[in-house]
Amino acid sequence: MPPAIELVGISKDFTGHVRAVDDVSLAIEAGHLVCLLGSSGCGKTTLLRIIAGLESPSSGRIMLEGRDITDLPARERNMRMMFQDYALFPHMSVAENIAFGLTIGPARRRLPKADIQARVERYLDMVQLGPQRDRKPHALSGGQRQRVALARALATEPPVVLFDEPLGSLDAGMRRSMQGELRQIHAELGKTFVFVTHDQEEALSMSDRIGVMSGGRLLQYGSPEDVYKRPESRFVAQFLGRSNFLAATVQTAEPGVARLALLNASCIVAGRADLHPGQRVTVMFRANHAVPAGSAPPGALHVEGLATQRRYFGDYAEHTLRLASGEQVFLQTPPDAAIVDGMLRMAVPAARLNVLVD
Amino acid sequence: MLASSRGFPRATFARMSPQMRLKAIWLLPPAAWFVVFLLVPYLITATYSFGHMQSYRYVPGFSLANYARIFTTAPYSGAIAQSAEIGLLTAVFSSILAYPVAMVMAFRVTRAAARSALYLLVILPWWASYLVKAYAWKTILGPHGILNSLLLSLHVVESPITILLYNTASVVLTLTYIFTPFAVLSIYASLERIPASLLEAAEDLGAGGMEIFWRIILPLSVPGLLAGGVITFALGFGDFVAPALLGGADTLMISTIMINLLGVANDRPLASAIGIIIVILAFLLIGVMGWAERRVTVRI
Amino acid sequence: MRAIGSSRALLAACVLVMLFLYLPLFVMVVMSFNAGDSVGLPFTGFSLAWYARLFGNAQIMHAIINSLIVAVGTVAISLPLGVMAAVGLDRYEFPGKAVFRRIVLLPLILPGVITGVSLLNFYIINGVRLSLATIIFGQGTALVCVSLTEVFARLQQLGRSQYEAAQDLGAGESECFFRVILPNISGAVVGAALISASISLDEIAVTYLLTGRQNTLPMVIWSLLRREATPLVNAAGTLMVVATAILVTLGLRLSRSGAEAAE
Repeated sequence: MPPAIELVGISKDFTGHVRAVDDVSLAIEAGHLVCLLGSSGCGKTTLLRIIAGLESPSSGRIMLEGRDITDLPARERNMRMMFQDYALFPHMSVAENIAFGLTIGPARRRLPKADIQARVERYLDMVQLGPQRDRKPHALSGGQRQRVALARALATEPPVVLFDEPLGSLDAGMRRSMQGELRQIHAELGKTFVFVTHDQEEALSMSDRIGVMSGGRLLQYGSPEDVYKRPESRFVAQFLGRSNFLAATVQTAEPGVARLALLNASCIVAGRADLHPGQRVTVMFRANHAVPAGSAPPGALHVEGLATQRRYFGDYAEHTLRLASGEQVFLQTPPDAAIVDGMLRMAVPAARLNVLVD
Repeated sequence: MLASSRGFPRATFARMSPQMRLKAIWLLPPAAWFVVFLLVPYLITATYSFGHMQSYRYVPGFSLANYARIFTTAPYSGAIAQSAEIGLLTAVFSSILAYPVAMVMAFRVTRAAARSALYLLVILPWWASYLVKAYAWKTILGPHGILNSLLLSLHVVESPITILLYNTASVVLTLTYIFTPFAVLSIYASLERIPASLLEAAEDLGAGGMEIFWRIILPLSVPGLLAGGVITFALGFGDFVAPALLGGADTLMISTIMINLLGVANDRPLASAIGIIIVILAFLLIGVMGWAERRVTVRI
Repeated sequence: MRAIGSSRALLAACVLVMLFLYLPLFVMVVMSFNAGDSVGLPFTGFSLAWYARLFGNAQIMHAIINSLIVAVGTVAISLPLGVMAAVGLDRYEFPGKAVFRRIVLLPLILPGVITGVSLLNFYIINGVRLSLATIIFGQGTALVCVSLTEVFARLQQLGRSQYEAAQDLGAGESECFFRVILPNISGAVVGAALISASISLDEIAVTYLLTGRQNTLPMVIWSLLRREATPLVNAAGTLMVVATAILVTLGLRLSRSGAEAAE
């Protein structure tokens, strides 16, 4: 089965020599919920708009279920977009907004009136806005408006739905619940959803696949676990989760095993083909993978230093440590971990160490 | 300092709270001016309207005879209706002409410099002299004018066509010409407020150009359309220049009548009566405008 | 967006309308250089004769000066009143606010002739002789609404916070106005002044009824037009278009940069 969406070498230049999207190639499987993740200005929204047909790429091709749609205008692509500001039509009621996509086009291609009504009802129920069907957008709350936008996009039953930072303007509580609802709707409908977001927690918790973008380029595309546990670049590692980076030198490198020197100690990690003795590399580990030194497994990397700052997060505390080597790391501990003479002694299991060759 | 210079009773002023004092300072001068130069003149005019002329002298009175005359005898009764008709046609045609320009300004031209340039181009004819513009049409449409010269030289007609001049049609044409820039600005102000994302959403949902216009753009631009339309109507209604230069025997506008009454015919009471009627109509129009605006404005 | 913006029919319609707008002006300008006597075709040759006659015509020259005097006087009256009323309307509630707004807007909707008649009656009752001053008072009253709407719109855009901040810092009312509010609305004020001036220069309805022995330019042109068609009118018209173009461009530049600087 062909991928739902396939991008081949998509680039987009804006006037003023700004390269917003730089040679992105991507294959999105049908039925997946995919997040394009990155900070503002990384090109993710531009890429989404190119997929939707609201911008045309400077080079490259787009395929929808195997068909080349690069030259098709937005209205002829069978995908719908949910806009960041919801873009509800202020002069139409909720029901009329939802029905809009079904009431356009030449009469002979439209569904019969009864069917349109039935569909509007169905999607009104799905987003739980039945009682508000006759209200105008300005009389709705932010969360309600968002559901109308969602129902409107879904009502035409497209195979692909695109979302431009849909949860950006909601408060934390609402975001959580909407994330759950969107996941549920996705599971129910089985369509392909593509999200754009800058919130890594959102991306990690909701998606089947994450595409991390920076500077217009797609840095990594994989499952949340892949991207989180096996980041392929420093940026990706830094973007997801709280990471630490330490300088290290390769001592020995053999097919299955490599020995690294760092923090005045030696450490054995899984081998990699691109390592050779004497090479300078970066070792990355997550702040929450540290364990107290006392309960460290054999072969763990010991990390200890002066605890200069402590931030309380309810479920855990994060400490800033100044190491003997002068480097600074962040480690998470249970909220009431003990600090002895201002020093914190932790260790990171070797399996949690990622070697990055930049 | 301001208080004493206006001759305001100092005691009263001093007794007011600072807030009220401020309010008075800002609002009294314009309010006072309007009372003296707008309301009092209207009252005087109303007084005049109840009198009549006898042997070229004004005789004050207390009758509604003038008003009765206006509503029952020609040409007065017809003139108000005809002025309204011309005003309405002007408003309608200038709005129709204005839409393409306003839409191009709002949606097609995105760079600020180009938009300013287009804006300037649209405004310029509006600020060119009104008299001259009306007169220019006369030169174009007249028997020796450009249009006829062109048609004659191309042998499309044998003798100059006269249907284009000295009738209601030419008046409407000229007035439409004069007020189109204003309609453009009015409609543009409404269109500018429509967020681009609305149009993109409509396009994304599959709507074509005309559908987007009829279902999204037009409904949302109605406030600007109405505001501009009402003023264009009012200006067309009260015009006397265009009818004087280009109108014919069948074009009798209320302003022309008033000027005649104040000049040769010297019937100030009757003119005053017409004036009062129109003031009342204008007041009602403003009221209707306000009501319509409230009903039609959509909170974007 | 692309569907609307790139429609060729729309662009064509727009161009046609713009041509329509500029055609008579173009004709007038071209004809003003016509060597012959006729106002319309034929175009017998290029000549500046009519401009020469225009400047040699004492009546017209006087009228231009009168028009300028009237314009300055009109702005001097309508601008301060309009600004004051705008501030009052923006900031305060008072009984009869709605009625006040309508009364102020009235001259905009009313045919100028009506405003003129009312003032004429007023002057007659008070035994005031008609002169440039009566014209100034008449136009000034009618044009207050122009300054009012411009400045009011800008004040609404501006909001209360700067004024309140200034008060909080201890500024008195006139300090607040001259140092905080006025700089922010300067664009609208200048724009309103220029618009009022342009309207005044071209005003004929109110002026017609309130003129004494001194004539303004529109009045002179009007009588010229009524008597006979002379190409003198084309020359005068062209000059007026050029003058207005300069005024309007200046005005827009100033009010744009004022608005940008304030933001």
